[in-house]
Amino acid sequence: MIKTYIKIISLFAFIFSLSSFSAKAVELEFYFPVAVGGAAATTVEELSNKYMELNPGVTIKPIYAGSYTDATTKAITAAKGGNPPPMAVLIAIDIFKFYDEDLVMPWDDILTAEEKENWIGGFYSAFMKNSQIDGVTYGIPFQRSTPVLYYNKDAFREAGLDPEKPPQNWAEQLEYAKKLTKKGSDGNIERYGIRIPTKGFPSWLTSGLIYQNGGQMTNGLGTETFLDTPEVIEAVQYLVDLSEKHKVMRPGTLEWGATPKAFFEGQTAMMWTTTGNLTNVRKNAPFDFGVAMLPAGKSFGAPTGGGNFYIFKGTPEAELQATKDFVKWMTAPDQAGVWTMATGYVAPRPDAWETQAMKDYVADFPPALVAKEQLAYADAEFSTYENPKTVKIFNTALENVMSGSISPADAMKQAQIDIDKILKDYR
Amino acid sequence: MKTLSNFLGERLNVIGAWLLALLWVTPLLYAIWAAVHPIEYEANFDIFAPLTTYNFTNAWSQAPFARYLVNTVLMTTMIVISQFILCTFVAFAFARFEFPFKNILFALVLLQLLIMPDILIVENYKTIRFLGIMDTILAIGLPYMASGFGIFLLRQTFKSIPKELDDAARIDGAGVLRIIWNVYVPLSMPTFVAYGLVSVSFHWNNFLWPLIITNSVETRPLTVGLSIFSMSEAGVEWATISAGTLMTTAPLFIAFLIFQRQFIASFMTAGIK
Repeated sequence: MIKTYIKIISLFAFIFSLSSFSAKAVELEFYFPVAVGGAAATTVEELSNKYMELNPGVTIKPIYAGSYTDATTKAITAAKGGNPPPMAVLIAIDIFKFYDEDLVMPWDDILTAEEKENWIGGFYSAFMKNSQIDGVTYGIPFQRSTPVLYYNKDAFREAGLDPEKPPQNWAEQLEYAKKLTKKGSDGNIERYGIRIPTKGFPSWLTSGLIYQNGGQMTNGLGTETFLDTPEVIEAVQYLVDLSEKHKVMRPGTLEWGATPKAFFEGQTAMMWTTTGNLTNVRKNAPFDFGVAMLPAGKSFGAPTGGGNFYIFKGTPEAELQATKDFVKWMTAPDQAGVWTMATGYVAPRPDAWETQAMKDYVADFPPALVAKEQLAYADAEFSTYENPKTVKIFNTALENVMSGSISPADAMKQAQIDIDKILKDYR
Repeated sequence: MKTLSNFLGERLNVIGAWLLALLWVTPLLYAIWAAVHPIEYEANFDIFAPLTTYNFTNAWSQAPFARYLVNTVLMTTMIVISQFILCTFVAFAFARFEFPFKNILFALVLLQLLIMPDILIVENYKTIRFLGIMDTILAIGLPYMASGFGIFLLRQTFKSIPKELDDAARIDGAGVLRIIWNVYVPLSMPTFVAYGLVSVSFHWNNFLWPLIITNSVETRPLTVGLSIFSMSEAGVEWATISAGTLMTTAPLFIAFLIFQRQFIASFMTAGIK
């Protein structure tokens, strides 16, 4: 009897002693999410180690924090729990949420005039759109992406199209998609012409169509959306028509995650998806493929996506300076190049593309350049106050349109009304 | 006539059971299929498809799973043992002792069942930080040790044990601890087993809280390692995910197969479905 107690207690002591060791050195914690596969985590660690070798006084502790949503939850919990990390890479579009909850501090507070001019000014302006509020910088672009068009060159040849001439505009995109759509002997469609995934986060790709159609989704201050404008509704109509009217895209909602697979297996000849998939497609497509800018409507257009470096309020001054040095180093040309080549993210500054390593990389693999060229036409990703709620309303409306239960005009008008109810407190 | 309808009813039961079992086992079968074949066969069924262990080695190499497994086992063991000890004493007090405000206190314990643990994340984080045990396995387990569900379940079970057994032990000179250990605990074994199973599987699978409260490889559980495979931006690699999932659930699965009979018996008696 007593022996049993002692056994249980000693087992406890054993478990507790095992569980309570942890490092307590002075260091900069840095939360990062992984949204594109294992290589990203390894690369972040390698870069951090290299920085520590070069700067012996500083310890960087990169902490994997799950998906973007998980990483946001972890950072907010830590900040509200009184233990904010000095920095975290979090999704760019949550900028209004962090600002609203008073968790992040402006980079401007710790930058010199020279740094504002040369460092902040050196990023692609398309990436700065989700990184600033009213001209004040809250996020430093790091793992940023943009969607591009991938196409199967073998299918192009088979359909009598020139594999070196991807579609340039909406009309060509539709025309090519029609030619590429192939029926099997049983009358069922064997291969669709195009696939623009509409389940997961449909608002991201749809915003590409909206920008191409000359529309705007928000006022850039996070307080107003324009989803019921004709440009937005027409763009959504174009998307629905691809499947409903022209039958060149598989009907119903199309999964984001299953889209590359459908492309590899020849179920679709063209697809829209992130540049973050470039390495994946290069490795797994069993055919010759091409990459192109998203076709133009009234003009070229695309959203940006991905994550930024944020700094948190409550971080001591010395740590802030060290953080600034580290982030400057991470976004400097050599490191940004390493990051781009490892993951497929778009190097966020023009100077990063000028290093010898990057020149060799794009010479060997020209599709990597497409995203960079598209940045000249790219605009912000949908972002407002209460972003998780508003983007969900927008996404649900789009999914309902694609599943055929409501017309684009009705869905967008209703979404606008619902979002207005949420945002009116912020105006 | 009667025998015929009996016979038919039995048959329907058996068919229904098979259908449900099939439905339940399908994802598992698919995971096994996807894990042992090359990636091209993810969505193509071909009985002669070549077998491979690549998916397992690939998944294994993407995170320190061996260490994560040790952490998960330590964490779940610690939580379940603490829950058993705390809940047994508390439940016994509520079942057999009389003290002021007993019902109000019990209602407060039950209140815990109504609150989603996720709401308390920030408060729990503050407590853990106050105690200075951030980034430890203990920190993952601490908020779950006093379980309202466990207390409720054991109290009900203890109440159903005849008072006479208790009295008999008392007459033989047994103290409270001895009565709990030699009368109540053995007679409530099915409840302990059933509750333990539910608790182990919950904590084995718990993700968000461990992710938030831990920062190092030395403390993080399997679920955090597994989450690397579920990134949404680049498309889903079913083969790798399946291999990873099979690896991380294998210990639980094997344990279940070994103790299957005891588990099912316990669930029948304890009435947890």
